[in-house]
Amino acid sequence: MWRFLSTRILMGALTIWITTVLVTLLIHAVPGDPVQIMYAQSQGTTPEQIEEVRRSLGLDRPIPVQYAMFMERLVQGDLGNTIRGGQPVLDVIMQRLPNTLVLACAAMFIAVLIGVPIGFLAAYRKGSLTDITLMIIAIAGISMPHFWLGLMLLFYFAVELGWLPVSGNGWLNLVLPALTLGLSNAAIFARLTRSSMIDVMNQDYVQTALAKGLPKALVLRRHVLRAGLLPVVTMMGLQFAFMMGGAIVVENIFSWNGVGRMAVEAIFQRDYPIIQGFILTFSVVVVLVAITIDALYAVLDPRIRRS
Amino acid sequence: MKLFERSWRATAGAIGLVAGLANAAAADDIVWARYGDIDSLDPHRATSTLSLQVWSLMYDTLLATDAEGLPVPHIAKSWEANADGTEYTFSLQEGVMCHDATPLDANDVKYTIDAAFSETTPSVTKGSWGPISDVEVVDPLTVKLTLDTPFVALIPFLADSFSSIICDSNAGAEGFGTTSAIGSGPWKLVSWTRGDRIVLEKNADYTNYGKLAENPGAPYEDGLIITVVPEPQARLAALKTGEVHIAEPPFDDVPTIVNEGDLSIIVAENTGQNVFWEFAVHRPPFNDVRARLAVAHATDAATAISLIYGDLSIQENCPVSRGVFGNDQEFCAQYRPAYDPEKAKELLAELGYTMDNPLETAMLVWTGGNRQKLGEVFQAQLAEVGIKASIEIMDIGSLNARVRQENETTEGTTGSMDMMTWSWYDPDILHALWHTPGAYRGYTSPELDAMLAETRVLTDPEARKAKVQEVFKYLLENAIHVPLYTPGWEWVFAVRPEVEGFFVAPFVYPNFSDVQLGG
Repeated sequence: MWRFLSTRILMGALTIWITTVLVTLLIHAVPGDPVQIMYAQSQGTTPEQIEEVRRSLGLDRPIPVQYAMFMERLVQGDLGNTIRGGQPVLDVIMQRLPNTLVLACAAMFIAVLIGVPIGFLAAYRKGSLTDITLMIIAIAGISMPHFWLGLMLLFYFAVELGWLPVSGNGWLNLVLPALTLGLSNAAIFARLTRSSMIDVMNQDYVQTALAKGLPKALVLRRHVLRAGLLPVVTMMGLQFAFMMGGAIVVENIFSWNGVGRMAVEAIFQRDYPIIQGFILTFSVVVVLVAITIDALYAVLDPRIRRS
Repeated sequence: MKLFERSWRATAGAIGLVAGLANAAAADDIVWARYGDIDSLDPHRATSTLSLQVWSLMYDTLLATDAEGLPVPHIAKSWEANADGTEYTFSLQEGVMCHDATPLDANDVKYTIDAAFSETTPSVTKGSWGPISDVEVVDPLTVKLTLDTPFVALIPFLADSFSSIICDSNAGAEGFGTTSAIGSGPWKLVSWTRGDRIVLEKNADYTNYGKLAENPGAPYEDGLIITVVPEPQARLAALKTGEVHIAEPPFDDVPTIVNEGDLSIIVAENTGQNVFWEFAVHRPPFNDVRARLAVAHATDAATAISLIYGDLSIQENCPVSRGVFGNDQEFCAQYRPAYDPEKAKELLAELGYTMDNPLETAMLVWTGGNRQKLGEVFQAQLAEVGIKASIEIMDIGSLNARVRQENETTEGTTGSMDMMTWSWYDPDILHALWHTPGAYRGYTSPELDAMLAETRVLTDPEARKAKVQEVFKYLLENAIHVPLYTPGWEWVFAVRPEVEGFFVAPFVYPNFSDVQLGG
């Protein structure tokens, strides 16, 4: 088990390092540098001064040198300062990361709470009208863009009914973004749960248990559910990363003050330290979740930890 | 440990925020929603309009701007310049107080300017202060600025929020610019949650000496919350539910809002924003003035603007917009190439282009604000005279980089044109754009350089105006800077019916001192 975990941790660290290299290369491949953008449209400052600011931020250095500076700061626990406003990037990220994590967790809760029972019911009633209806709803859920669903929920629940606020960061404000993100993911969980359960139900040991005359409810609970949920647990890990990504759109619609929205602003402003810090934080969270899921999977399935 | 120590407070604060502790707005707070946040509370650390608008509420400036955009006394009740224009002496109002109850005097002015010229952390707008070499506190209410060379754009700069007076009690304060900021303006900082909201409370002791407002004292309402709502439809929804009082609406919804009549629409005037054609002039076809003039003559800006913006924008004839020194529509109309498709065709024919052999170019356009639709109308107009322009839409960062790259490319025959957008309170912006080497490394000439240099040193307003207009004439006749329209972005506000007294001062500074929430 320890060997299994240490391998996963090492792979995770390597993934994070590769991500930092890739993001440094990619953000510099996008045209426009942050200082030019900062002075765009509203500033009569001389080109010489713009060059001076670029120099002071180290943006005139070659990309490998800038990356080395980033890594040097990183090992000291410092992600640098934002180009706009000169604030510590770590503070800026840590101020918002909990909001995104809360949103992703709430959405995951909704997705699992709705998706798994629906999938289970559809599998149980395989081929029936209930199954077909539920799966049509699930496909519609998967196909619905977050942007559209978010605006529809916003206009119905906030504007028409007036039950929930439009924007902000309180508990009530969490409901609509979490629903938006959770509902489309619930559809994914429903489909996955259904196919996984059907697979397990067709296994010989399940058929044998039923043939022996064991009550159906007991077979489902003891033999089908545990085995059938294994792929769902794996999917939770993958979906968590997607939810963090999906949060970028949802946070914008509902003015949820998370790291996704911060990242979008930073990309438009080419605020390199924030982008680097965001990708680093994002990859650390995703890797940590993946390792946790792997560990959980190993606990659920002894074959994994033995291999 | 550093990683942990520095962040735990922020994290704890955010968890508190998620718990909904910081979300409530009192009934008598004005709530203003914008698409983005400020970069800093420190006026030396940012350049964005979003930041400037907030500084204008929290800080005072030596001078203020009147309804026409001209500088008038404010914290400085008067000023004198020497004949050379190298010394300015300002007499300050007595009794101006900072938010921490310390008096605002000449030392605060010196502190602000010294900080702008700091060797280690100069202001990001240091260049706009001009060649100030010394700041002398003559007495607590008199301050003298000495300049190496004359710089007449200093006076309008001192009326703009870029030159906000930072009280010297901020010196050494931990978190200045992020968690604290002491000014002397009509609103005091309560808190700033980055990315979410700025909470201000009224400065009950405020006296308004020159800022454009009817209210001579403290704001009428107790609080002002400036919240970030990036999605335009969400801003409109928040306006409809009453969560927000004032916000920039989705552009396409403005006609519906006007028709419904529940919300009122306020359009800012004298914004200083100028949208114009410029060209990659260091290679064909636009290294030839005839190609540039052909584009200018083929562009029917008035029709295109009316089609896309209705009466929200107007055609601009001058290279600096209404409200900026030197702007004179009639003067500029004499020299701006008029809409004349036949003339455009003649010029193109001289260059060997016909309808069957069109001039091909790329039209670079900044995304947002319905500019893509406007670009499509212009594209159709250009096609009518034999100019085949392919539209490329990009964010402002990419556009700036691309325009400079286009100007630095001297090889090839398909130079681009772009719909550029700049804003400033003084014609000195033309110096930034067109004086060697030029903000985008575009058109420059010794003749134009000489004229632009003079616009910076002529202290007599009439003489300066004449020189500025000489620059206009040069830019227009040579189709270097072909003005299209004003304003260009962030200028439309939707306001709830209970809001009274809201207006937008020149250069897009919304004013809340006069606002009263009725109903």
